[in-house]
Amino acid sequence: MKEFKKNHQLYIMCIPAILFLIAFSYIPLAGIWMAFTHFNPVDGVFGSPFVGLRWFKAFFGIANDSGAQFNGMGLKAVYNTLFINFFGLIFGTIIPIMIAICFNEVKNKPFKKITQSAMFFPYFLSWIVVGVIVKAFFDDKTGMVNSLLRSLDIETIKWYATPKYWKAIVIVADIWKWCGYNSIIYLAAMSAFDASLYEAATVDGANRFQSIIYITVPLLKPTVIILTLMSIGRIFYGDFGMIYGIVGNNSLLYDEVAVIDTYVYSAMKSLGYGYTTAIGLMQSVLGLILVTVANHFAKKVNEGEGLF
Amino acid sequence: MEKSAGYITKNKIHKSAGDIVLKIFAVGFIGFIALICLYPLLMVLSGSLSDNFAISQRGFSVIPKTYSIEELKDGLEPSVGISTDTYKYLFIEPESRRNILVSYGVTVGITVIGTLGAMIVTSMISFALSIKDLKYRNAISFFCNFTIIFSAGLIPWYIVCRNWYHLGDTYAALILPSMFSVWNMFLLRTYFSSVPPSLYESAKLDGANWYQIWWKIALPLNKTAMLTVGMMYTLAYWNEWWNALMFIDDRKKRPLQFILYNVMAKITAVSSGKVPRGANLVLPTETMKMAVTIITIGPIIFLYPFVQKYFVDGVMTGAVKE
Repeated sequence: MKEFKKNHQLYIMCIPAILFLIAFSYIPLAGIWMAFTHFNPVDGVFGSPFVGLRWFKAFFGIANDSGAQFNGMGLKAVYNTLFINFFGLIFGTIIPIMIAICFNEVKNKPFKKITQSAMFFPYFLSWIVVGVIVKAFFDDKTGMVNSLLRSLDIETIKWYATPKYWKAIVIVADIWKWCGYNSIIYLAAMSAFDASLYEAATVDGANRFQSIIYITVPLLKPTVIILTLMSIGRIFYGDFGMIYGIVGNNSLLYDEVAVIDTYVYSAMKSLGYGYTTAIGLMQSVLGLILVTVANHFAKKVNEGEGLF
Repeated sequence: MEKSAGYITKNKIHKSAGDIVLKIFAVGFIGFIALICLYPLLMVLSGSLSDNFAISQRGFSVIPKTYSIEELKDGLEPSVGISTDTYKYLFIEPESRRNILVSYGVTVGITVIGTLGAMIVTSMISFALSIKDLKYRNAISFFCNFTIIFSAGLIPWYIVCRNWYHLGDTYAALILPSMFSVWNMFLLRTYFSSVPPSLYESAKLDGANWYQIWWKIALPLNKTAMLTVGMMYTLAYWNEWWNALMFIDDRKKRPLQFILYNVMAKITAVSSGKVPRGANLVLPTETMKMAVTIITIGPIIFLYPFVQKYFVDGVMTGAVKE
């Protein structure tokens, strides 16, 4: 009570944010109950009939009481999510680090300014705009890639009708959008490195390349580990905006790149709210476990400081 | 390292050669990545300024193309040149003009209101949690954190917003769900935490209350941080289409990005193709997407050179402190 009397103004300043969290994060938790019911809008969240673990069984194909409509697409979406996130994580780490390291080697100020502005720009674009760009590249008739193939006398490819390329396209688009932003994070880490280490190495006759391999890269390790652990904690979460912005509801490509999040959205109307809530719940629980584990390891590499 | 005198001289020559190769590689790599990042934008711009027929015949490229009458007659290649027909079409055809202007208004409206609201909400809690002698600050931080590490998922959120809060087809649906970001709160808190507490103490001795300290000391001292986080919210609202996809059916409440999304899905989403008599324009099916894209990102391109520097600084400092 004394604490509240002393600092009540500060607590009042927290209230609006807390209300937003309650409204849009905590109250929806009650809706998790839908995962165990056969939801219908008339009876509402708590009035709909209880069905136990039916939706979870349906997801894993254990009990197919609802017929063939649960055709294993859910598991396919899980696979797609992991695949896209895994390669996005690997290349999305290596390329920004390479950019940051190379950026440090360049001394020309105007060149640095211009290139950094260019690299940072994709971060400002929405996935819808990225979708337009992808279309301009891969459109069957007017796309640049096919124009290039035509000019080289190579047979053109109907990209938007050939699913097998799209995981790669989505991953490249993801890296493209984030490489500038992520490289800034590594640049920030590198700016804190001790300059005397590099001077000592130069005195000892090391060239720039050796300095990079034996000083910069090892010093970057903690940053890389922390960012990687954060990504692993979110590896079951697909980027809805990315998939939806680039592929939209193109039914030909859908199966190939559907991630859990887009699957939940598209199955919401056809397979019911109960089933899709169950998928979301599994995703959240797995995410919680992974984040906790990742946090545990982060504390080890980061001198007792975790991700949160 | 070997230390014999002969080795050192040899090594020096070797070193400078190696360094030059490295430098050339670095410049080449950075230039290449920068080009890849900028190229698509130039292509979109050039596409929007090209003649629709030239694009449908020759495809997109980074140089705008138009047909002159002679070239069309003789079946020649299109020549380099700028055509503003697509923009003319978008602003002459009544339906597309109305759609674009209305959605521009929606986007500007939600961006201004949303960003202002979000900045007030976020900076207040960030400031409060940066005060070390606030006893329950860790509990409140955890309350915020928990929403990042565990969420109900899309469907419960959707049902609650639709059926309990009745956000369907309201402007509130485009503003409220994105108004408080825990990530931005933590970013801002790192900055507020670096303000020496003695500054606040002396203000308190002068009789200032916490609201005044927040408004008159904490905010002005952290301009870069406020600008960075403000930009992040602005960008989030400007690029907003997810909430629109979820909640908006009314054509008059669609934000810009959602219009663009609809154009992508179906070219006739923005225009009925009814052009006023005498305007002599055809529906530019290929270049329209590009023109709508440019209209959508126009303000970003315009503001980008001014905010980019602060933004990089803000993200960098935030990343170092985290």
